[in-house]
Parts: sequence; C-alpha cells; structure tokens
Amino acid sequence: MKRFLRARIASWARRRQGADVLPVTMHYRRIYILPTRAGWGFAFLLFCMFVAGLNYSNSTALFLTFWLAGFVLVGLHRCHRNLLGIALQGATAVPTFAGGAGELELTLENPAPLMRLRIEADLPGVAPSVTDIAPRCAARLSLALPTTVRGRLLIDGLRLTTALPFGLFRAWTWVYLPLELIVYPRARGFFPLPTVAGVTPGAKTRGGSGGDEWLGLRAFRDGDSPHQVAWKAYARGAPLLVKEYCAAAAPERYFDFERLPNLDTERRLEQLAAWIVDAENRGERYALTLPGGKLALDRGAQHRHRCLSALALHGLAPARRAAAIAR
Amino acid sequence: MDSRLRAVPPPLHAEREPLRPMLWTIAAFVAGALLNVDRIPLWATAVLIACAAWQLSVAAHKLPALPKPAQLILTFVLVTCVVATFHTLNGLPAGTVLLVVMGSIKLLETRGRRDRYIVIGAALFLLLAACLDRQALARLPLYLGDALLCCTALLVSAYGGAGLEIRVAAKLAARSLLLALPLALVFFLFFPRLPGGFWALPANDDAITGLGESMSPGSISQLTASYDPAFRVRFAGAIPPPQERYWRGPVLHDFDGYTWRRGVVEAYRQPALRYLGEPFRYSVTLVPDANRWWFTLDTVVGSPDKHVFFSYDYDLIAREPVTQLTTYDALSYTHTESSEPLSNFARKIESALPPNRNPRTRELAARLRERAAADPDFVRAVIDFFRTGGFQYSLTPPMLDLDSVDDFLFHTREGFCGHYASAFVALMRAGGVPARVVTGYQGGEWNPIGGYFLIRQSDAHAWAEIWIEGRGWRRVDPTAIVAPERLSRGILDILPNAVSGRTRLLYTTPLLVHLLQGWDALNTAWNERIVKFDVNMQLGILERLGVRSADWTALVAALASGLIGWLAWIAWHIGRSAGPRPADRLARAYARLCRKLARAGIARDAHEGPLDYAARIVRRRPDLAPRAQPLLARYAHLRYGPVGGEVAAAATAAFERMVLRLHVARRPRSTPLRRSKSL
Repeated sequence: MKRFLRARIASWARRRQGADVLPVTMHYRRIYILPTRAGWGFAFLLFCMFVAGLNYSNSTALFLTFWLAGFVLVGLHRCHRNLLGIALQGATAVPTFAGGAGELELTLENPAPLMRLRIEADLPGVAPSVTDIAPRCAARLSLALPTTVRGRLLIDGLRLTTALPFGLFRAWTWVYLPLELIVYPRARGFFPLPTVAGVTPGAKTRGGSGGDEWLGLRAFRDGDSPHQVAWKAYARGAPLLVKEYCAAAAPERYFDFERLPNLDTERRLEQLAAWIVDAENRGERYALTLPGGKLALDRGAQHRHRCLSALALHGLAPARRAAAIAR
Repeated sequence: MDSRLRAVPPPLHAEREPLRPMLWTIAAFVAGALLNVDRIPLWATAVLIACAAWQLSVAAHKLPALPKPAQLILTFVLVTCVVATFHTLNGLPAGTVLLVVMGSIKLLETRGRRDRYIVIGAALFLLLAACLDRQALARLPLYLGDALLCCTALLVSAYGGAGLEIRVAAKLAARSLLLALPLALVFFLFFPRLPGGFWALPANDDAITGLGESMSPGSISQLTASYDPAFRVRFAGAIPPPQERYWRGPVLHDFDGYTWRRGVVEAYRQPALRYLGEPFRYSVTLVPDANRWWFTLDTVVGSPDKHVFFSYDYDLIAREPVTQLTTYDALSYTHTESSEPLSNFARKIESALPPNRNPRTRELAARLRERAAADPDFVRAVIDFFRTGGFQYSLTPPMLDLDSVDDFLFHTREGFCGHYASAFVALMRAGGVPARVVTGYQGGEWNPIGGYFLIRQSDAHAWAEIWIEGRGWRRVDPTAIVAPERLSRGILDILPNAVSGRTRLLYTTPLLVHLLQGWDALNTAWNERIVKFDVNMQLGILERLGVRSADWTALVAALASGLIGWLAWIAWHIGRSAGPRPADRLARAYARLCRKLARAGIARDAHEGPLDYAARIVRRRPDLAPRAQPLLARYAHLRYGPVGGEVAAAATAAFERMVLRLHVARRPRSTPLRRSKSL
C-alpha cells in the first residue's frame, strides 16, 4: 500500500515538475515535507501536555506546551531548509559487470553559509547513503546498485531526503534525471585469447625508443641506457627504473561475435567481455565485431568501455526515455 | 572484475550503538526525573539511578543488556511498588513516579532511534509534571535548562553518530527554542483559557499550615516562628494606618476552659451594621495552605466570590481548601457601628463559659463588675488590670494548666497574643459582656518595590471583640495593652530570639532585606501576571491594545493573526539563509545591482563579467546604459583594480549607496534571457 502510494505520488510529482537537467537546485517548489512517525508521536505528546495544562489551569505547563509546539514548527522549517538551496551538480552511474554492484555517484553542492546535516540519497531497494555538507562546500554521495543481468538499468525514483535537525519531519525531493546504469555482461569464458594471423602473439619488440607506445616501467638492469631511466621517479625516491616502450607491432586481437560458434548469445557476450578485459589488462590492442556493428582496433579505458557497452546493449531496444518513473 | 565497483558504502545503522545519543538521552531523562526528585520516593530514585548507570555501561560495552524476562519481572515488581506506595496509579504524584519507573525500565531496552525518542518524550512529560506541581519563579531556570537539554538530546539522537559537535547541536536547539518564543508568547497571551478544569483536581497535601479553627495556649507561637508568606495585599487607593491593619480570620466562639473553638456554628442574626469612614479597596493573593479561610481587612462588606461563604461573624469561608494561589478583590471598613440590641440567643452564645472551670477568673470578674457602673467601666477596669498586673509578652511562655486562664492570670503572667485574647474574652464573658476571640494576622511588611503588603505567618495574631450595647462589636487588642510595640514593630524587634539565627540575619541586614523584598516583589509579579494569568487578563490585554468590548472571538482573531504573522516571519527568516549569500559587502552590493537590472528586464548571465554585462546593456538596452554602465565599471574597478585599505572601504560604502539610490523601472515583459526553471 505504502509503496503504491509512494509510486503514485512520485509520478504525480514527475508530471508536475517535468524532467530535470543538471545542475538541479532544490528550490521551494520541489521540496516535499511530512511528519515522521516520531513527529506524529511528538504531536500526540504535545496534545496530552496541552490537555493537562488546560485542566490544571497551569500557566507554566501551557507555556511549555506552546513553546514546544513552536519548536516543532521551527523544526519543520529547519528541516525544509536543510535541503533548500542544495544543488545536485553531478550524477554519474559507474558501470559494472552483471552480478556486481554499480555505483551512482552524486555531487552535492551547498552554496549557503550553513551546515547541512545528514543529507541522504535513496533509491527504492537500495541502501541509502548519507553525508553532511559543510558551509559553501560540496560533498559526494555514492549509492551501490546491485545488478543481476547485463543491459541498461534505468535509475528511477532517486530521492534526496533529510530528517534533521530534530527527526520530527522528513523533507525530500525527487530527482528526475535520465540516469541509466550500463551493466556489462559477466566476464567469463573458457576460450583463450584468439590469435590473429600475421601477428605472433607475445612478440613484443622492446628497447630504445624503438616503440612509440608506452608500456610501463621495469627495474634497472646493467647496460640500460641512461636516457631511458625514469629520473623524475628516481628523484621522488623510487628505485632506479627504466621506461619501456613497445613497438607498434604489439599483438592485435580481433574479437568477433560470429566466430564463437556452439554458444548461445549470452555465453558469447560473456566470452567476448572476458577477452576484452584480458586484452586490456595485457595492454594489447583489440577490435570488436558484433552483428550490429564494428569497433576498430584500439585500447585504453574508453575503448574498453565502448566495447563492453556494445556487448551490454547487444540486442536490446534503444532506451525509452519516458520510461515509468518508479518501480 | 574491477574491485572499486564493489565498494558498497557502510550500512547506515552500524551494529554498534553509538554512545553519544544514548548518553544525551539518558541525561535528558535523568534531568527530567531530578526535577521531581523531592516528590518521588527514595526507592524510585534508586531505580532510576541504577537503570541509568546500567544502560550507560551497556552503551559503553562494559555490561551485557538485561535479558527480556528480567525486564518484564522488574516492570511488574516496580508497578506493584508504585501501587503499594500510592494506592493508585492516577493523579500527579503517582503518575510522576510511574513515569519515572517505566521510563527507567525503558532505558534498559533502549536500542536505536525510536526508543531514544520515546525516552526523550518521557523526559519532556516529566518536565511538564514538574511545571504542574510547582510554578515558582526560582525554578524557572531549571525548567528552561531542562527544555534545552531535551531539545538538544532530540537533535543528537536524530543525528545518530558522533560527527556533530555538541556545541553546534546545543546552539541549534537553543536558537530553535528562541525562534519559537514569539509563538509561545502569542499563544500564551491569546489562547482562550477555560475558567476551570475538565475534571476535579486532587488537593495539594504538602501546603503549609496556616491558622487553624481552634486556638489553644501556644498554638499561635508555632506559626510566629515561621517567616513563610501567608498572603499579599495590594491596596487600590488609601492604605489603612498601622494600628488598623487587622486581617480577620477565624472567629472563635466556643471555650472549654483551655481551647477556643469555632464551635458547631450556631449562626445568629447579625445586627445591622452602619459603616463609618471611607472604605478600603484592595486585592489579596493567598498563598495555598490547607485551610479554607479567605483573609480580609477587619470588616469586609461581602463575599468576592460566589463559592465563598460570607459568615455571620464577617468571615469568608471557601468551600474547598485553598490549594492554589488565589486572588480576590475586597472592600472593607475599619469602623462600624450598630445601634440594634444583640439578640438573646446571640448574647447567650457569646457569653457562655464552661461551668466549674477557671473559678478564680470568675471571681476576679465578679469583683471588678461589682465596682463598675456599666459595661464600658468594667472593660476599662479589666484593661487596667492587664496594664498594671505585671504581665510580660513572651513567645516561649511556660506550659499552662487545664484551667488555662486561671493559671495565666494568677500564676505565670507570661504569654503572647493568644493568651491575652483568651484571658480577656474569658474575663469579659465572666463579667457579663458578650465577647469573642478573633484570630488572624496583624500588620504586614510593606514592599516598596512591588507596592504591596506581605503578611507572613509570623504576623499571626489573636484579639478580642466585645459587644457594647448601642455601639456594636468593638475590637479590643489586649496584647497591645501589654506590649504596645508589638503592633508597630515586627516580632524580630521585640523578641529577637523567637526565630532562628539564620532568619534573624536574613531579615535584619538592610541590604539583604532590600534584596529579599526585591525578590519577593519579582515573585509576586510572576504570580500575579503569569501564574494567575486568566481569561480576564487576556481580555484586559486586548482592551489595552485597542479592541473595544473584547470577547473570545477577539481572542481567536488575535491568536490567528499572531500565528499567521509568526509563520510568515519564521518561513522568511529560516528560508533566507538557505540560498547562496555573497561573502562580502561589495559582492552583496553587486548582487543587489544585478537584481535591480534583472528586474528592469536584462539579467546578467552566470558567465558574464561586469564589463561584458555593461557592453551587452549598451547594445540591448541603451535606455539603461547611462546609469548602469558607470556602476558596473566602478564595480570592476573596485573588485579588480588597484584599490586598497581605507580607500577601498570608503569606496565600497559609496558604491553601496549608489546602488541603493539607483532606480530603474520594472519591466514586466518576459525576456528571452529568463533562466531555466531550475534556477
């Protein structure tokens, strides 16, 4: 019942507010506030105190009751203000492999000269994440998003909430950003990295400035040229290291969806993901061919993400932006 | 798999109960209970301390939590103890103890935020119980401190962890309470008060004992040693001279030879009175005691309250004992006359003496009566007897025989007002003159700061009234004959040893006397204005504010406007600090300038510097340019140019003034530069 109500209210608010674009500033019209259970309890307590004070015609007791009632109302405004004016500057979904936990990173900025206490971000079915934000500072919140299958995970129903300062009210705002988490296929498979004709696997040409691709550092060995020593690192206190470059003749891998017979689609995608991770870790260049398209030979984090994303979204319909808001 | 992605933030509620919120919750509850500590039995206090200490150890991981069955058994045992002590669970005293005990047990099972909130709620209720029980001004700081403690505990509890500085939390709670104060005042002033409660209130049984309904030798001297206040009197207009400040209390008619009693009241018709001289108007505020007497100056004209009986001997007797501060207005005369004769029935009552008691007194009365021609001569002879008989005024007279008047007149000859009044009335009755004993108070201390008289228990007094045919009841104060200084001076001057050394020191050092008077005046103002605040005072305030013929609808209107005004103010006050606020004066003035220009229809873009902005204004709004451009250029110069020191401060001030004076007409049309909704 509660979940149903919450979904209805959220979709009403969505229609009312429209979609958001970054940065999202929490202004009056988008902050909602209701008493918490403790707040209702406190109201009942005040009612009892009021009746007692009136019955005993006791000025001090009545004054105390009125004062605490005023205190609660101040608390209401303070709770509302605790959220008011905060700007959501960034929201990034960090992809993960199916079965792992993706991460939604939120950057909140507090432009006002006041301390924000316990600002929480929550998503349905996800452990909330809490932070304080110092005056005129920014803070980062990260939500762990559990995943099960590859594909596109729409992030709906993101709320920023707070119950501080007194826990008697909870103010919240819904953030309607088009956020989605790319979930890569699980990286697993039995097949070794495919070799490609024309290139001998493992035949790296090392030495001198013969190569143009940065490979890494290795320990100094007698006979190494002083030009290759990483003097800057040495000056910082590291042991004597030698910069290694590899020639462009490093192995090139061609991963092709069609060349993995006897497997169903998901297994193939998992195998391809495993190869991509492997090749990337080895510092090799790779290309990916899928039935829908082709990614040219390259390497690096961006290339890896492009390839894995292509695997993640393989065979899926393009995202519908106006998807249902709340689950 | 990338391990960074697996990093899940730690769960919100860690297994370990944070210590600080627990500490503050316990502190709030214990403080609330301590406010009531003198009204709860010792065992309940012991339970409270034990439970608080145990829970502290649990929170610090020194002790295991008490198992559930043990808690249940403890609850049962303690509730039984409360019932055994009070024979009820109702009422304020039993309720308070029950709350303390149940709250202590709740402390033992307090885990997490919800439980802490319950305990803090109980602490607030204990504060309420203390308020209900006593409203003395001296306790006010305690109540304020406890309220602040509870509110801080609420904040610390809501925050949960240890990241919040206590100083910050306390400041936040205090500021919230401060902001709530205007609303509390408005509601206090204008919330319509009910004239009475919803249900009957139990009597307060620990009130001080004032004058009783009987007088034995020695009974008044117990009162005399007490410096507690009995009541306070504020005169409207003339103040009676000192020798006429007799505050009438119980009139005693029935004598058994030792004790005077009010007797089984056999009311008789009082002869009609003629009031002489000017009346005195005054209001009396009674300090609660267990009695039902409302004290008045000498002869009061009628009852000020329909629940208070105006008796045939001019006493005011309430239906219920005075358990709360009670204020009433009265009108009195100090001189009366009555030309009617006393009825035979009344004469019989007021001349009755127990047979076979105090024979020597009868003998003396008969002797003096023989020599006297008429009643007034007899009275004069008795007064002479007291004046010349070698009597001494003393607050510690020897014990008297069962024939107390004989023993006093012919043997000890030492006593105070009670002895003299008793002996005088006995002599009068023995001589055939109707007479009665009046008890009450005499004198009173003028408080120059508050402008009222304070009558203490030590001012308790007893005097006589005799009936003179053709003139009516006349007051005779035999004590004044023996010790005339007793009337004009306080008990301390005449008998310094009558009271304890501490009291003597307090009430004879001039500075202390002054301070005490100031404190008493403050207390009286508190009692009269705040504690006794009622619907009449509410309407009075409204009338002073200019509302003619104020009634409860005016109260509701005042309440509603106050509430709305406060809500608007608080929303503005709290909301305005949430937005970005420029850090220095120059930036604030620049922001104001930009706001003004934006209202005129051309808003600065977020990325735009002052000079670019000026250039755009010149292009787009040439009508504004002559006024806006110099100001923007000036800002750029002040902000980025080579200005420093005092020159900069003066120039900033000048810039502020120029911005303030800048007047641009509002342009209602929407501009293409309007920001997106999120701003």
